[in-house]
Amino acid sequence: MFKSGTIYSNFTPLVKAPVIGYRISGDDVLNILKKITKKNFSKDHSLIQIVKIYQQDETLLDECSVVYFKSPKSFTGEDVCEIFLHGSPLIASQFEQLLKDLKVSGLRLARNGEFSYRSVLNGKNSLKQAKAINEIISNESFSGLEYNKRLLFDGDIFSGLVPLKEEVINLFSEITASIDFVDDEAFNFNQIKKKIRKFFSNCNNLLQENRTNIEQKNICRIMLVGPVNVGKSTLFNKIIDKDRAIVTNIKGTTRDILSNEFIISSNRFEIFDTAGQRSKQGKIEKYGYKKAQKISTEIDHFFVLIDQNTKKSDISTLFKDFMIHKNYSLIETKSDIYNYKTKNIKINHSFERDKIYQKLKLNSIHRKYVKNKYKKTDLNLEEIEFLERILEYEQDIVNEKDILIIAQLMRNILDDFSFEFGYISSEDVYDRVFSKFCIGK
Amino acid sequence: MFHVEHYDVVVIGAGHAGIEAANISDKYGLKTALITKNYSDLGKLSCNPSIGGVGKTHIASEVDILGGVICKIGDKSAIHYRVLNLSKGPAVWGVRAQIDRDLYSQNMKKFIKSSKIDLIEDEAINIIEKNNKIVGVELSNIGIIKSKAVILTTGTFLNGKIYFGNESQEAGRIGNSSSKALAKFINKNFKTMRLKTGTPPRIYAKSINYDVLEPQISENNGIFLSYFTKQNTNIKINCFITKTNNKTHKIIRDNLDRSAMYSGIIKSQGVRYCPSIEDKITKFGDRNGHNIFLEPEGLNSDLVYPNGISNSLDKKIQLKFLRSIKGLEECEVNQFGYAVEYDSVDPRELKNNFETKKIENFFLAGQINGTTGYEEAAGQGIYAAIHAAIKIKKIKFNEKVFERDNSYIGVLVDDLTKLGVTEPYRMFTSRAENRLKLRTDNSYERFSTVINPKSFNKLEYSLISKNINNEKKIFDRLTQLKYSPNDLMKKNIKVKKDGKVRNGFEVLKFLDPSTDKFKKFFNLTITQKLLTKIYFDSKYDVFYEREKKSYDQLNKNKNMKLTNIDFNKIPSLSKEILEKLNKHKPENLHDAGKISGITPSALFQIVKHKKTKGNKVA
Repeated sequence: MFKSGTIYSNFTPLVKAPVIGYRISGDDVLNILKKITKKNFSKDHSLIQIVKIYQQDETLLDECSVVYFKSPKSFTGEDVCEIFLHGSPLIASQFEQLLKDLKVSGLRLARNGEFSYRSVLNGKNSLKQAKAINEIISNESFSGLEYNKRLLFDGDIFSGLVPLKEEVINLFSEITASIDFVDDEAFNFNQIKKKIRKFFSNCNNLLQENRTNIEQKNICRIMLVGPVNVGKSTLFNKIIDKDRAIVTNIKGTTRDILSNEFIISSNRFEIFDTAGQRSKQGKIEKYGYKKAQKISTEIDHFFVLIDQNTKKSDISTLFKDFMIHKNYSLIETKSDIYNYKTKNIKINHSFERDKIYQKLKLNSIHRKYVKNKYKKTDLNLEEIEFLERILEYEQDIVNEKDILIIAQLMRNILDDFSFEFGYISSEDVYDRVFSKFCIGK
Repeated sequence: MFHVEHYDVVVIGAGHAGIEAANISDKYGLKTALITKNYSDLGKLSCNPSIGGVGKTHIASEVDILGGVICKIGDKSAIHYRVLNLSKGPAVWGVRAQIDRDLYSQNMKKFIKSSKIDLIEDEAINIIEKNNKIVGVELSNIGIIKSKAVILTTGTFLNGKIYFGNESQEAGRIGNSSSKALAKFINKNFKTMRLKTGTPPRIYAKSINYDVLEPQISENNGIFLSYFTKQNTNIKINCFITKTNNKTHKIIRDNLDRSAMYSGIIKSQGVRYCPSIEDKITKFGDRNGHNIFLEPEGLNSDLVYPNGISNSLDKKIQLKFLRSIKGLEECEVNQFGYAVEYDSVDPRELKNNFETKKIENFFLAGQINGTTGYEEAAGQGIYAAIHAAIKIKKIKFNEKVFERDNSYIGVLVDDLTKLGVTEPYRMFTSRAENRLKLRTDNSYERFSTVINPKSFNKLEYSLISKNINNEKKIFDRLTQLKYSPNDLMKKNIKVKKDGKVRNGFEVLKFLDPSTDKFKKFFNLTITQKLLTKIYFDSKYDVFYEREKKSYDQLNKNKNMKLTNIDFNKIPSLSKEILEKLNKHKPENLHDAGKISGITPSALFQIVKHKKTKGNKVA
């Protein structure tokens, strides 16, 4: 469990960027703001203001925007402030030092998930919603993203587990009735067992369906190949446009080959740059080239870059080395220098990024390789793990002949659902029993 | 000056709760009086002529082993037995006995007369208390009698009112006036609510055409209500089954405006699991028919109790729908069905020993606490009297036996005093989280620490000790026997090859529970009854552990007291959750967690509030 006290943490990465943000939450927020800005924020709920932040020795630390949220109208339900420093890691480190020097008792760096924890504690979010926030952030597919947004904004009742919850209450009600009201209606043990098997198969289906949907490929992998000096790296840098493109992940060390993830109009791509091909390769180059060949089995589409100097035999070697069949586009580079007379795609370094995207037909390539990318998901990863736990009961219950033991295990499952949706009491079960069966004399 | 009697315990009402209360109070050596308005009604079975059933037998068997009389007198007066759920495990076997009403009353009167209990025929009109402590009871004729404790078991008699169609009269049940004077006292001092129940018509046996009906034959597989009963020599009768049909349904549907319940005359809460025939037709009218069990009221009685058609319809309509039923085409009615409305006390007015919170030494038991059923009443009667005895005589008593994981009486007390009721409360085995352990065949074991020798005659007590010793011997022998997986393989028993050496008790669950197999395998002789019991002990052993892993176990704060918390001061609780908490007023976090719809996050918020604000916010 987490302890009390006022907590702070950066909510942007601590890297060079336009802005580095900090959030502080707890009883001492106003006190801290007063100390570092010499200003009283108590009446300024949710107003963005530009203020000066001073260090202990009264020198200016930064001039930046600050917003204060008064409890309980904040994310955590406590007093909260958010501070947007200029994006220098050095300023950030000065800022953290300042907070330490304030010697406010109980003020400390937040632990992972602590802000969300407090939001649950203070009733701002349900447990499910807090988990959904986490999932939204870590989500890698758009369908999963939509689902978690629905959970977060519209509530737990949109969970894909709700129909299973209803099914398990109904099932448990029938089992209960068949034991306690054996005389009142004709109950059939085999029917009940059949329904139990059905319940587990429904759990299983939902699980499998969503697992495939979630794990389903939504990324299109592209590899740039071509002779040395044809302009692969230039194109690579242009596509991922370090300054402006939405680049989500920078790899390169793990595969000894440069790769990058980026998103264009909701389509995810991973692009690989390769060592150039030439007849006499150095040791390291050879190694890189071999590596690229290995990865090529996972590649959806190849951009084969050529220019006026590329021989036909070079191209066929490339096709052979990377096992390229129909999944490629031929791209002629340096079109500003050479005058090509083919129908191939022609580009040159003066093209803007968007023009490059258009020329390369990235969106239609994505459509070709990534099918059903908007297939609806009805579970998030948390819930998938939950269903896996439920399915652990399957063998024990399905193989059991004693209805009392079955009832006991089904009650355990109800309790597990209680954790997700609130306590399911005997009264809830009886409500179901008496509305479904004509009980009593 | 008149001589004023001084009692230790005065019990008002001689129904099933009152009799058990008076009896156990007497057995604990307390000077006891039992007040009844009408001597002839002592121990009357005012509704169906049967005792037991699933859940009900479970409570009754606990009353039995605590020294109660309901099972013993029940067996003595039984004229038909059935065991429900026999195909399932013994944890839910429910023996049910049809009882001869007259025999039961006679046997009960004989029993009370043979005891030291002072039976007084008079009407209690007031409870005398001073400084919120019991002083005595004022009787209509005799005047005041003093008592250290009073146990009130007046059933449905408080402001009782009965209804047939649009007719109504003030009565606790047909032929008995209601207790208005006492009702005034109760309503002044306690929160009460109005509940409703109903009873079917009584039909003349000779007007029924049994030839066309399906009989149910008495059968009990050697299982009786009481632990102490060895046999029942009464003549056995058959019960019969018939069914309502579409014609019946139409008659009832067309005349709902002539039902007290449906025309809106009665507004109080009825029972979901004891629906009137009007209810059944309205909610489940699409069924082809609803079963009616024709239960003879006694060997010498000319009346039959048609179980399944309680109603509050106009008398003419009752006759009309009855005669539409197979076998009842020419039936004649002795007494029409009716609905009863009565006051009951909100059981949350009681401490968990069934003493009222407001008046010391004043106990309430039975239907007045919002329950239904003879067995539920009996359980409360014995519970209240034991606790009166504990208080008066300062007896050391192991209260753990009445916790909800050890007894159905514990479940009932816990449910009533913590959650209250919204409809008459009946016991179901599914109310017990620990159902696998709360069995009728091990009541003696669960209550072994509190069995009072004075509550039994010599024969009964020696039977208990003999059985317990016998079981202990066999159990000790079994646990001394050791088997490796290899030993078991040789004997054709498949277990995991986990290298674990199992003792005989642990191996038992892998065998068929037959005495021959047992003898062959362990070389021990055992009775079938004991074998069944320890076989299921062996089988369910692992599940006792698993049960403990429930919802609240993961919460370290479950014992946190919530009595002083004003939930309205916790801003983060949703309106819905707040309503539930205010309604149920949970005593601790564990109880809060067991309220329908209470979420783990709501519990977090309560814990946080309590930890930061403590009890200051009251």
